[in-house]
Amino acid sequence: MEATIEVRGLRKSYGPTVAVDGLSFSVQPGQVTGFVGPNGAGKSTTMRVLLGLDTPDEGEALVGGRRYRELRAPLCQVGAMLDAAAFHPGRRARDHLLWMAHSNGLPAKRVDEVLDLVGLTSVARRQVGGFSLGMRQRLGIAGALLGDPPMLIFDEPVNGLDPEGIMWIRNLLRWLAGQGRAVLVSSHLMSELEDSADHLVVIGRGKLIADTSVRELLDRAANGRVAVRTAQRHEAMTVLSIAGATVAATGPDSVTVSGLPVERIVTLLTEGGVSFSGISEHRPSLEEAYMELTQHAVEFHATAGQVRSWS
Amino acid sequence: MVMTTPYRSSVQNPRDGFVQLMLAEWTKLRSVPRWSLTMLGGILVTILSGMLLAGGAGSASSGGDGATRGISPQYRDAGNYVHRVLTGDGSIVARVASQKNNDPWAKGGLMLRADAKPGAPYAALMITPGHGVRLQANFVTDIPGSSSQAPRWLKLTRTGISVTGFESADGATWTKIGTVELEGLGDQAEVGVFVASPDALQLQRQFGGEDIVENTNLGEATFDNVKVEPAKPQQLPPWRGDIKPVAPDATSFHLVGAGDIAFYHYATDSTKTMLTGAMFGMMAIVALAVLYVTSEYQQGLIWTTFTASPRRGRVLAARAVVLGGVTFVLGLVAAFGTFLLASPMVRKGNAAPATLSDPQVLRAVVGTAALLAVVAVFSLAIASILRRSAAAITVVLLLLLAPLVAGSALPLAVAKWLERLTPSAGFAIQQTLERYDTAIAPLPGLAVLCAYTAVALGFAIWRIGRQDA
Repeated sequence: MEATIEVRGLRKSYGPTVAVDGLSFSVQPGQVTGFVGPNGAGKSTTMRVLLGLDTPDEGEALVGGRRYRELRAPLCQVGAMLDAAAFHPGRRARDHLLWMAHSNGLPAKRVDEVLDLVGLTSVARRQVGGFSLGMRQRLGIAGALLGDPPMLIFDEPVNGLDPEGIMWIRNLLRWLAGQGRAVLVSSHLMSELEDSADHLVVIGRGKLIADTSVRELLDRAANGRVAVRTAQRHEAMTVLSIAGATVAATGPDSVTVSGLPVERIVTLLTEGGVSFSGISEHRPSLEEAYMELTQHAVEFHATAGQVRSWS
Repeated sequence: MVMTTPYRSSVQNPRDGFVQLMLAEWTKLRSVPRWSLTMLGGILVTILSGMLLAGGAGSASSGGDGATRGISPQYRDAGNYVHRVLTGDGSIVARVASQKNNDPWAKGGLMLRADAKPGAPYAALMITPGHGVRLQANFVTDIPGSSSQAPRWLKLTRTGISVTGFESADGATWTKIGTVELEGLGDQAEVGVFVASPDALQLQRQFGGEDIVENTNLGEATFDNVKVEPAKPQQLPPWRGDIKPVAPDATSFHLVGAGDIAFYHYATDSTKTMLTGAMFGMMAIVALAVLYVTSEYQQGLIWTTFTASPRRGRVLAARAVVLGGVTFVLGLVAAFGTFLLASPMVRKGNAAPATLSDPQVLRAVVGTAALLAVVAVFSLAIASILRRSAAAITVVLLLLLAPLVAGSALPLAVAKWLERLTPSAGFAIQQTLERYDTAIAPLPGLAVLCAYTAVALGFAIWRIGRQDA
């Protein structure tokens, strides 16, 4: 069975609210696919349909080529964490994993293995009610890994975590994908996926905005921009603007220039007597690239005559 | 794009059958300490309130305690009986010369019984002021004769275990009334004349209970031409009885007597009374069953449940089986515990104490456990439909308890229909006696509750698979 997650022409509305509107994308094994969009963009709905929790109005969502509700012993095929708070507070961590294991006929030793994997062995016999958010996230991930599945779906796994926890999850995601699993991880903050996602599916208002590799997205966002460090910001902006470049101040001693190659910028600044301490091709952050992308999406929507803020 | 060999789960032979589901649900149920405490609390409340109620049982019927020593409280077997032994087949004849009309069911006539002890098999042929001539046997058989009043001739003839009653206006022309068979009748039988008269009964039903007051009501009758005619020639032993002296071969008697020989519809059902404590334990069970379902919805845990087991109807079925089974076992502990601890506290009356060897009592005790189990499953189904704790608990308790509480304030006929048609019919399983206010027999009553439960569970299963979780 190919461990691919696939969404085709998915449409789902709740009453008058359209949550997902004709969405299609696929998640390949061996890489982390970031599923990005602002809150309310339809990420959770898509994941719920993928997991057979909600029924789509149109289209289909397939895991390993089948609908989730047709899977046998699904924990061994798809692992999921939807909500970090989804535990009974009075139940002990180990018992939570134990009932999950029983439901799919998994041996109890898997429970101890995943507890060890997420570093919760020492608190396995404590009630979940006393867990911090980070511990709950780990327990949720332990549940997703219980059946050692080739496909993983995490909804906002780093939401609300401290930097150490975020780092831990990034490494875990990379490790899981490195083993050949398909990993779909959602976030409303692109920065959270920095350094962990290989591929990005960006959605807004239930529609696909981009389905691209991280590499491509960054290249496109860089778009020939050049960063200049200079103590004479004002002069630099004047000189470069006259030459026809688009110049934006990005800090007290830095500007970003687009529309001119690096060599021409160096020449112009030198001729204009503007001193500068550094000049380099601009490396946009994923967040920047994302902002640019979604800005285009908003513009596109604006021309389509349906302006609506969705931040 | 990174291409790798597809990952394969290292878990061997996973299974997600019904057994696995039940094991998972059992693990869920047992692993929340507060739920275990609730179950324990339900058992304790049942037993303790059963003991409290048992202390008051019996005091509900005050005044003339007509219960007959040693037999089921369902029967009254007392009166004034003058009798002698008849060996083998034969007849007894007498004329009821006069009878006092103190009650429509005052009784005066002939009686043949296996022995003189209460509860023995009997056939009685009698005149009543309000219901004419009757041939009655073993508390439940009642064959009407003519509507004649005293004076009237009566005759009882025994052939084997068959006893036939006749009546006559003149002692010459006899009309047969009917024949009854008395299982357990030996070669020797007691034959004689008797007088009985039921206690005057005042019944008051009020909100939450009833008050029964009984006052002794003496009946009176005069007999003459009393004659015992054996089929085989024999020396008849002398008359025995309460009135003294009795001439060894008297043929006329004037008897005065209280008590009744009949089925009694106002007995206190002490077993049911003590098991009523289950109604309080039930509240804990209902709350537990509801929380078992709704807590998953509140916490989003239902998503984990349904991703682990996408076949939702089976999840609900597994839950029903596990919760029903657990509640049944706990219910057995509670019901037997109640019976063993509370029955010694029942006010000692004349009637035989309830014992587990009585099938009716055993059915009530085991039935109480079944009742709790069905109520648990009913609550689970309602909770799965409503998904809200407060709403589900309210609906279940209203359906179960409101008819009983409201019933005690409504006219009896309305109350009975309410108890037959609502889920509270299930409480009938706790009855061990048939009373004036019995709405439905024990097993049909439980069946009504089971039907409600089956419909609710069926609807819940049908809907849960079609709804977004």
